[in-house]
Amino acid sequence: MKKHPRLLSLFLFLGLFIFVIVPFIPLILSSLSFGWRWPDVFPQAWSLRAWEYVVNDGRTWQAVGISLWIALVVTSVNILLAVPAANALVRYRVRGRWLFEAIIFAPIIIPPFISVMGIHLSFLRFGLTETVLGVVLAHIAPTLPYLFRAVMISYQTLSVDWEDQARMLGAGAVPRFFHVVLPHLLPGILAGASLSVLISLSQYLITFIIGAGQVVTLPILLFPFISGGDPSVASAYSLLYAAIAIAALAGMDAALKRYYQTNRASQQEKGENA
Amino acid sequence: MSDLRIIDIEKRYRTAEPKGGASSFMLRPVRLTIREGEFFSLLGPSGCGKTTLLKMVAGLLEADGGEVWVGDENLTDVPPESRKFAMVFQQSLLFPHKTIEDNVAFGLKMQKVGKKQRLKAAADMLEHVGLSGFGSRYPDELSGGQQQRVALARALVANPRVLLMDEPFSALDPGLREEMRELLSRIQKEFRVTVLFVTHDRDEAFALSDRIAVMGEGQLRQVGTARQLYERPETTAVAAFLGLKNILSGTVNNGRFTSSDKTLETAVNGELADGDYFLVIRPESIRAAEGDRPGQVSIKGTVQEMTYGRGMYSLKVKAGSQLLECAFTTFQAEKTAVGEPIELLVDMKEAWFVKE
Repeated sequence: MKKHPRLLSLFLFLGLFIFVIVPFIPLILSSLSFGWRWPDVFPQAWSLRAWEYVVNDGRTWQAVGISLWIALVVTSVNILLAVPAANALVRYRVRGRWLFEAIIFAPIIIPPFISVMGIHLSFLRFGLTETVLGVVLAHIAPTLPYLFRAVMISYQTLSVDWEDQARMLGAGAVPRFFHVVLPHLLPGILAGASLSVLISLSQYLITFIIGAGQVVTLPILLFPFISGGDPSVASAYSLLYAAIAIAALAGMDAALKRYYQTNRASQQEKGENA
Repeated sequence: MSDLRIIDIEKRYRTAEPKGGASSFMLRPVRLTIREGEFFSLLGPSGCGKTTLLKMVAGLLEADGGEVWVGDENLTDVPPESRKFAMVFQQSLLFPHKTIEDNVAFGLKMQKVGKKQRLKAAADMLEHVGLSGFGSRYPDELSGGQQQRVALARALVANPRVLLMDEPFSALDPGLREEMRELLSRIQKEFRVTVLFVTHDRDEAFALSDRIAVMGEGQLRQVGTARQLYERPETTAVAAFLGLKNILSGTVNNGRFTSSDKTLETAVNGELADGDYFLVIRPESIRAAEGDRPGQVSIKGTVQEMTYGRGMYSLKVKAGSQLLECAFTTFQAEKTAVGEPIELLVDMKEAWFVKE
């Protein structure tokens, strides 16, 4: 009985190591190498050239800023869309509920290339191509399903009794939402928001077509180096990109933890005193 | 006077097509007046519509007809949050992210009462339910009974016109339930709050209520005090629900009642028209025969089962086709045993005839 969890955790650790950590090793080596060619197992010459290029290029930080800004706006818009939508679909008897859900979840299944061609044509007409606004709008389609799903599940686990109880204590619709519903939805919203941020950050095709090279996010900056010519710079960009994604996730996680901790601060003091 | 008046409130099944049949009622029209400061219970088995009625009074469920008044104010179209009612549910439903103090003060916060004032009111109310000093804890640190006390305090803090309670103690274990009953009874008298209480537990309803409405199959069956209901049930359904199992069918002819299996024949005191009746005999009004006495009839039977419970023996006696339940003192019960014949005496003053 005791050995199994240990064995299992060893396998899990190995799996994690092989699939998550190992891929970073050649990336790191490559970003620090100078002319690393095929027969060599390790680079023959070292250089900080790639990193110097990435860090000193003004476009890099601009791209980081724009990427994060787009992800943030997209996610905020998604939250504003997903919460009322989930409320309606879970709480009310909606005719053709499956149709609404199918439309919302469709972007997960339908290849983005198909929809983005249509979006591109429409946006050309509206003058939204080559703008951040256009990219934000186009990013909503692939990210909304994940946030919607998380919020919908949170709603399903919130019994109507809680809201009824708040009503009986005199709470109207707005205080009910902020005092009862939102605290319950918050973990779900945050889980969905993390996905939304990550997916928005990783969009290449949509950003490329709608932004038409004028809206430069990190993936747009990164791709030419992968396909074109400088693997060292591409590696450095990839690492930077991974760092930004991890930082965004960690930041949101910390925000959630802090929210619970400030709420629970007084309780912990009590526990320590007792 | 601000009595709570429920005037012909009704609820139909949503899903049923308009058949117009009587079966489409979830709750047949109910008319009740609950006096100010009264403890009124709705008693019935699950699915009888008592919670539906309560939620319609609360406004959480929309009625398909009828009105709710308090005093001379028609509340039928007033949303629940503006009715100044309070409700305690089966689960305590304390907001998990708020402290006990903030939970109790919630109703006052919604009324925009200042922070200092509402926290003081909350602390006072917590003292009334015996939980002073718990204010800064969180709900998950409290036991089930304590949580339900907080729910009661939270409901009462804003001084509601009517306190609605939906089986508030049914999730608690029996000892705790009795403790909560006493607490509720004391607090209700102290605050003189009107209570509408839903339960399926007749002991609970009997112990707490000024008056009780027995409900069954989506309608009100009988309203009265506990004693009226138990000693003078209007129908066999009410009698059976209150645990009166000795119901003998028979006929009254020329002032004499004969049970259909001929085990019992007796003169009827009072005037009853000829016809079919049911005789309801409470287990407490049957005794073992020790010589004839006037005004009592005897029934012969065999003891089938004896069980001991709370100071009394409960006997099941087979008499004719009927199984009679009798409550015997230990002293009486010791004289007989399972399988032995027994002669029972029924005090006809305590027996009661019903028509249906």
